[in-house]
Amino acid sequence: MSQFIDADDLALLASSFEAAMADAPGPSEADQAMYDLGWAELLASAPGQGTATAFSALGATGSAASLLDDVVANALGAETALESCCVFPAPHKADAPGHLHGDTVIVDGMLSARAEAAVTAVLGVGTENGVGHFAVDAGLLYGPAVNGIDPGRAYRRVVVEIPAGALEPTASEGSWESAVAGARVALAHQLLGGARWMLGEARQHAIDRAQFGRPVASFQAIRHKLADSLVQIEGAASVAGACLHDSDPMLAALAKSLAGQAARTTATHAQQVLAGIGFTAEHRFHLWLKRMLVVDTLFGSASSIPVEIGQHLLSEGTAPRLIQL
Amino acid sequence: MDPETFRRDLGAWLDDNANDLTPPYEGIGSMDAHMAHYSHVKRALFDSGFGRYGWPESVGGLGGSPLLRAIIGEEINFRDLADPNAWTMIEVLAPTVIDFAPPELSARLVPPFLRGDEMWCQGFSEPDAGSDLASLSCRAAETDGGWVVNGQKIWTSFIEYSQRCVLLVRTGQPESAHRGITALLVDIDSPGISYSPIETMHGRRDFAEVHFDDVFVPSDRLLGEVNGGWRVAMDILPYERSTTFWHRGALLHRRFSDLVAQVSAAGNRGDAAAKALGQAFQWIVAFRSRSRDTQHQLAAGEQLGVETSVDKILITSAEQQLFETARDLLPGVMEFDDDLAAALWRNDYLYSKAATIYGGTAEIQRNIVARRLLDLGPES
Repeated sequence: MSQFIDADDLALLASSFEAAMADAPGPSEADQAMYDLGWAELLASAPGQGTATAFSALGATGSAASLLDDVVANALGAETALESCCVFPAPHKADAPGHLHGDTVIVDGMLSARAEAAVTAVLGVGTENGVGHFAVDAGLLYGPAVNGIDPGRAYRRVVVEIPAGALEPTASEGSWESAVAGARVALAHQLLGGARWMLGEARQHAIDRAQFGRPVASFQAIRHKLADSLVQIEGAASVAGACLHDSDPMLAALAKSLAGQAARTTATHAQQVLAGIGFTAEHRFHLWLKRMLVVDTLFGSASSIPVEIGQHLLSEGTAPRLIQL
Repeated sequence: MDPETFRRDLGAWLDDNANDLTPPYEGIGSMDAHMAHYSHVKRALFDSGFGRYGWPESVGGLGGSPLLRAIIGEEINFRDLADPNAWTMIEVLAPTVIDFAPPELSARLVPPFLRGDEMWCQGFSEPDAGSDLASLSCRAAETDGGWVVNGQKIWTSFIEYSQRCVLLVRTGQPESAHRGITALLVDIDSPGISYSPIETMHGRRDFAEVHFDDVFVPSDRLLGEVNGGWRVAMDILPYERSTTFWHRGALLHRRFSDLVAQVSAAGNRGDAAAKALGQAFQWIVAFRSRSRDTQHQLAAGEQLGVETSVDKILITSAEQQLFETARDLLPGVMEFDDDLAAALWRNDYLYSKAATIYGGTAEIQRNIVARRLLDLGPES
């Protein structure tokens, strides 16, 4: 049974989450700090509000904390623990990362920083009978690190073959579909938290930076870029918020896609408004930009989810009336 | 009455009366046919009681949350039962008239509007006062027992079907800007009012240019206070951007669903088509979700303000994206075909180009978001 947290308590939670993640030197310390603050218990008792609050903070702080492992494990009914990680789908995809071929499981997916020290991994495996999830020795999955674009290394690719005998059945009951929906809503909040941070940086820069004897914020070309960013963020945030009371998987997919699009638009506009300083390594903008590029690919992106939704609509021949008064 | 019960009961009633409520016109239908059917549907809803919910008892309503009105317009638009633009006029004008007219005036004039016996129009824009509405110059001079109005209005929708007009006039000095504007409720049959229709690029006579030549307006037709007309105009915006946007969002949803059905039936199942549909759909849903939040704020009695510019930008973007997508995914249809479906796509595609112009241009909305929501300071 999910409990409801009132607005004041949520605001308190949000600020303690932000402080904890901002102060942590690395992802494992951030995970530990979040567990110390009761993140795992919150996820179990109020998954919707807890996830929204934690992932907004994750996006705002630019932390590489591996909270997505907990969201997916919780949705699958598996144990949430710092020693446990999850395998996520391959970039831009949402289907299970494992595929059974005879005696072999082909794993093509992603791991978070949590996997580095994890003992067990939860792996979704597609079979003839749908997706099952299993516990696997995390050591079988964790290969040499690849740097990639994100200096914070929040996520890495995993492409390996493991023996089917390594899969240990779990007693958990959650469906892969519900895990995908839960992850998408969480990541939507992270993308929006990051987009709001980028917009805030660009806004402050536009006010502080003077050219031609006045703040560049006074120029309409700049104002309209920032206005468009805010409009996309608010539109996406409304859908992400609607997912709190509506577990329709299509709504969760739309929330992720919209948030990814809002983050892309905001990053493009913020980059342009930040201009020279935003292109340097000195300004922190690039850290959020690179994290956004990575998070956008998780569980389907703003490019791939519209295809998935469009194909679904075409096969139905009609569009469902989502969102009721 | 709770919204869910209301929607269910209304839906059953609309189903039972489908024969009577379905538009009788073949094809796109003339303006005359649209207006006659609009009045018919409005009257049937009023007489059944459904059309009176969400309006105060003082003007012939049955009370209840304004959400109920949002639901009626949504169902009408989803079922395509009445002209969507005609339907918006009462939502735009009546709530503000109820707020600002003397109670006995609104008790007398609003009920026929509610029942579809009357139509009203809006006299705001002028040839030289579009985005810069506060510079309007149509003048009202005080005279014995009222005002004498002289000047011109433009883009006045439905005036040839209307009995009354909510009119903004200059009562202060020409340079008084928004401080010298007054709102009046004017009878269209007053001597001295003349109008000529403007044909739009989508082939309709949607609106008109209106001339006021020594038009007498009695003093009891004042809305709000003398020189307080800007408040009246600003009061209209939140209504325009809550209930009527919700209604238009339903129309966009229906047209999107039509598009999915047509593309699907044509056997175009490629990823490019799917992606374009998915992208159009996500912004329709984003608008709908945002508009739902706004509806609930309105229903909770919150004062809506500049944040409704976000709703406006979302719906106009969604609308234009939808019809551009239709043009792409139904290749050559709106350009070359003459069947009803093609005519409707052509009509809606062309009309969507007005969405970023009417009711405050796309640029004005972004100026508001930048100044008021992002607090970027003054423009240079």
